[in-house]
Amino acid sequence: MTEFVRLALLGGVLGLDATAVGQFMVSRPLVAGWIAGGMAGEPAMGITVGAILELFLLVSVPSGGARYPEGSTAAVVGVGVASSLDGPGAVALGVTLGLVWGQVGGWSVTMQRRVNGRLLRWRAFGGPESLGWSHALGITTDFLRGSAVTFSGMVLGRGALVLVDEHWPVSSAASTGVLYAGAAVSLGILLNDLGGLRRRRLMFVLCLTLGAAGASLL
Amino acid sequence: MIRETRSVPAAGLLLRSLVVQGVWNYRTMLGHGFAFALLPTLRRVYRDDPDGLARAIERHSEHFNAHPYLVPIALGAVARLETDGEGDEIIRRFRTAVRGPLGGLGDTLIWATWLPLVAVCSLLLYWSGVPAWGVVLAFTLTYNAGHLGLRLWGLRLGLDAGRAVGTRLNDVDLASWVHRLQTLLTGGLGLLCGVLLATPGGLSFTGAGSAWSLLAATAFVAGLVGGHRMWRPAAVLTVCVTGFIGLWGMLS
Repeated sequence: MTEFVRLALLGGVLGLDATAVGQFMVSRPLVAGWIAGGMAGEPAMGITVGAILELFLLVSVPSGGARYPEGSTAAVVGVGVASSLDGPGAVALGVTLGLVWGQVGGWSVTMQRRVNGRLLRWRAFGGPESLGWSHALGITTDFLRGSAVTFSGMVLGRGALVLVDEHWPVSSAASTGVLYAGAAVSLGILLNDLGGLRRRRLMFVLCLTLGAAGASLL
Repeated sequence: MIRETRSVPAAGLLLRSLVVQGVWNYRTMLGHGFAFALLPTLRRVYRDDPDGLARAIERHSEHFNAHPYLVPIALGAVARLETDGEGDEIIRRFRTAVRGPLGGLGDTLIWATWLPLVAVCSLLLYWSGVPAWGVVLAFTLTYNAGHLGLRLWGLRLGLDAGRAVGTRLNDVDLASWVHRLQTLLTGGLGLLCGVLLATPGGLSFTGAGSAWSLLAATAFVAGLVGGHRMWRPAAVLTVCVTGFIGLWGMLS
């Protein structure tokens, strides 16, 4: 439980990075997964879960008022629970939980923004002092939101998945195959965003061949 | 280093721009953060005029939206207008005029190009066998070199150009930079797809891997044809398949 509390605090800090403070993108699943894995003593599993979630969330960005899955929550919850499981389905279950809880995180961001609006009306800021205080209050509540969502995700997720993990029927390779197949849709969407195969077709196909050939030789 | 322009505390403006979205809300969006970032400048400009300071805070707390990385352009330009003693209405109109272009440009340059480019290259490193710390370091340093460089450049531009910031932005021709970076991104995406298909840690061509490769190719085509509306069904299907496998294991 202590480990979950530490990871929940990490979820709060990374949740701030996504929008409220800095946007250095350490909240992206790739980075967040590795940090969470390091804190849980499983850095290799952390980056594996983070990289697969990053593939899924490649086309999800913290843009304006849009609701998007919260990548940091997804990664910390996914890695936190996956590192507490022992079976071959740990990575698959972690990523799946991350996908579900990322949506919960996204919903909580929307709620936080509504609360911010009320907070600013309530504080009725007129002077410079109240401007600073209301800003600090908004950032603090966002940190608490991120921590609470991360903690609840890990507690509920572990409770629900520990039994599933004990009876996981397929190999680790087959489990991650399911995830890669699902995540491939994001790669297609990204190419679509870049103009699809109508533009830069030769470039894409050449690099695809080069990548496949290079990986086969290595 | 940032040069202090007249009475504008430029370093403070840059640092405060990092928390400009601290109280993002659906009513004023970045408005409150914009006023918060400008506060040290306003305090200097309205040193002996508390009523003027209160009016300026109210003015800058009104609705404002732009890409957060390009907000320093608007902050710098508005700080310049305030120190030059421009009137309320001119500053209001300027804020309204710049928010749309700074939002659209930032979304295209950063969210649709720079972030996916750095992420795709980092994932490529990961699946090519580069150690995890190297991948994370490469992502964080490269991404933030562009991110912080853009903020710094934007603030300088805003402080120097003031009201003429729109013309100066047109001269930079960021659209051609976007085009070049998107060409790189297409190449990186191709490489990543190839590596994912062929690497032993990804979807290999042999054995059971071929079934997953076929499924992944189908999902890729679905995303390519259907665009963003395909994301949610794919994610839901992945969750359902994993859930079904788990249920099957528990029942058998």
